[in-house]
Amino acid sequence: MTVTVKVLKKPKRTLADQVYVPAIASGVKLTLTRFFKNTFTSRDHEANEIATVMYPEEPRTYPPRFRGIHRLTHRADSSPRCVACLCCSTACPAQCIHIEPAEYEKDDPRYGYERYPATFVIDELRCIFCGYCVEACPCDAIRMDTGLHMPPSTERSHFIYDKEMLMSLPGQDRTFLSANPRHEPGDPSHPGIDREKGH
Amino acid sequence: MPTFTMNGQDIPFEKGDTIMRAAWRAGIEIPHYCWHPGLSVAANCRMCLVHIKTGRQGAMPIMKFDAKSGEYVPDTKPKLWPACQMGAQEGMDVTSESDDVKKAQASVQEFLLLNHPVDCPICDQAGECKLQDYWLEHQNSMKRKQTEPVHKPKGVKFGPTIVYDAERCIMCTRCIRVCDELVGDPVLDMRERGNRNEIVLSPGRELDHDYTLMTEHVCPVGALTSQDFRFKARVWFLKSAPGVCTGCATGCNTHVDYDPRYGKVYRLRPRDNMDVNKFWMCDDGMMTYREVHEDRVNVATLGRGDDRQAVLFEDAVDEAVEQLRRRDKSKVAVVLSAKASCEDNFALAKLAQVFGSEHVYLAANSGWEGDEILRSEDNNPNRAGAEKAYALAKGGLVEELDDLVSDSLGGDIEAVITLGAVSADIDLSALEKIDTVISLTSNDGALPRAASIVLPTTSWAETHGTFINKDGLTQTFKRAIHPAAGIKPAWEVLRELATALGHELDFESLKQLRASFAPPPMAPAQQSAQA
Repeated sequence: MTVTVKVLKKPKRTLADQVYVPAIASGVKLTLTRFFKNTFTSRDHEANEIATVMYPEEPRTYPPRFRGIHRLTHRADSSPRCVACLCCSTACPAQCIHIEPAEYEKDDPRYGYERYPATFVIDELRCIFCGYCVEACPCDAIRMDTGLHMPPSTERSHFIYDKEMLMSLPGQDRTFLSANPRHEPGDPSHPGIDREKGH
Repeated sequence: MPTFTMNGQDIPFEKGDTIMRAAWRAGIEIPHYCWHPGLSVAANCRMCLVHIKTGRQGAMPIMKFDAKSGEYVPDTKPKLWPACQMGAQEGMDVTSESDDVKKAQASVQEFLLLNHPVDCPICDQAGECKLQDYWLEHQNSMKRKQTEPVHKPKGVKFGPTIVYDAERCIMCTRCIRVCDELVGDPVLDMRERGNRNEIVLSPGRELDHDYTLMTEHVCPVGALTSQDFRFKARVWFLKSAPGVCTGCATGCNTHVDYDPRYGKVYRLRPRDNMDVNKFWMCDDGMMTYREVHEDRVNVATLGRGDDRQAVLFEDAVDEAVEQLRRRDKSKVAVVLSAKASCEDNFALAKLAQVFGSEHVYLAANSGWEGDEILRSEDNNPNRAGAEKAYALAKGGLVEELDDLVSDSLGGDIEAVITLGAVSADIDLSALEKIDTVISLTSNDGALPRAASIVLPTTSWAETHGTFINKDGLTQTFKRAIHPAAGIKPAWEVLRELATALGHELDFESLKQLRASFAPPPMAPAQQSAQA
């Protein structure tokens, strides 16, 4: 194997570089410009170019695809869309999702057909917010579009989010619905599950 | 042995073999749904189509244009035959990899998925489903059908153990053939045709024979699911250990499927062994996995009845040693167990030898209903092994639990050491007259309840062991899950007891203990024929 060597020339310094004064002058100019701009213009950072945000009084608006706290989306009848398939906990590299599947009750139209999560717990302390669970979900049941980051706490148990907690969080559009409606067994749009309705 | 060629490889076959069976025996998989090595040939899924180039009558010779060389070359008409039905012949040239075959496999696969609901997330078969595997291997294209799939009955209860989903069914008829051929109870059949096809029960019947779970086991898709395993676990989390069924003296070979994260056994599956169970197991045997988690004895206890209290394992052992030291060793009775492994039984038999005790008994379950297929009337997995241990300790006619009861009433016995828990329906209140009754057991039962000292031991899923079945076949099984902290196999506990009492048992390791009954080396775990 031959190794090709590329010889790089050392950049030559001009006189202006050697005496430093022009560089110092331009630096001082930039500093003073920012100083006067930040001092005398409004602090509404969306209206002008002030970069400083007075966090936490003034939270920055996150971009729409920001991966925040998880939520579980609802069906039209406000039951969870989640079918407890465990795809998210399989994909999770931090192993922070714990799900126990269960069967619907006998009088439910989804009985014998579908399952739902009896418990759905995310350990947000373990979570690395990679978004793999959202990618893995075949039902668009888990999302990270709440636009919230984890509120700080000194109590570990505050970071263990159960099903009720995850279902109480709306998305950035303030609704609980998923953007991808499907016709699922039990929904009015589904043709039905028995032979009479099915044909 | 005659041979034929498949994909350029010579495959030997026996008289009467089909191409599929010969390939299966040689370890080559031709994709298939309806064929099962233990069932008759149905040839209805059409997944196993192969091209038989030469060596078969009726293989019509043609001249085929070869685009590479630009010339016509001799070939045979690409008529495809089902490999599961076509008998193998000397000198056949078969290919299962030609473009024609690949196209046929992809088409069959697309056809089978035409009305499939593709509800893999809520399907228990996901992860071990042939539709999934073959889609990736042989189709790998999107569905072209745009219209609503045909809907059929879902969640149909076929009986106490099986739930049927007609939408997922591919009509391979394996379940029907299991009922007809294995069990001889034709309770399942098929109705309608085409995309309305579905499996139905005989009128007025339920799927309630002794082998219902085998219909689920052979189902290549998620149409039949087991009521017991349904929604419990995803199979990709499960690991498998080679086991032996503890249900009866047949000793069916099993895969013990467990989740290593929780240390929990979820199900058993039959492990192919042509000498014992072939491909099958009975329902009661499949459910024996429950013993590992139900009615377990996890803490050592002292005392009887209301005075019974949990103590540290070491304290219970110390108490047992203390009490045994005060007794006349030759009047210590030992009770072997036909439910326990050879290791535990031989360790206890050796303890009886060093004690010089003549009081040796054998506890066993009282039997259940057997049949001609697999189930033995003796519902003890290791009676033969326990009897071997009995012969080592005492010899002569085997004395059972009722002999122990009458002997203990006679006052000839000062202490009892029992192994395991059996469901024998004998009144053991006579044992409660004896002050020292030590029970080494993994599960609760009549013997531990009558005992004054209970020492917890590992169950069969938590240790390596050996059973000898009714035909004298010695079979070993391997540990699946780890036992709870501090719980040891009974043979280790017995060795500790003996050492503390100043006796020396002639083994230190499992290997040395096993030398006394010499099991053959464990055969490598075979993959089930269905997979």
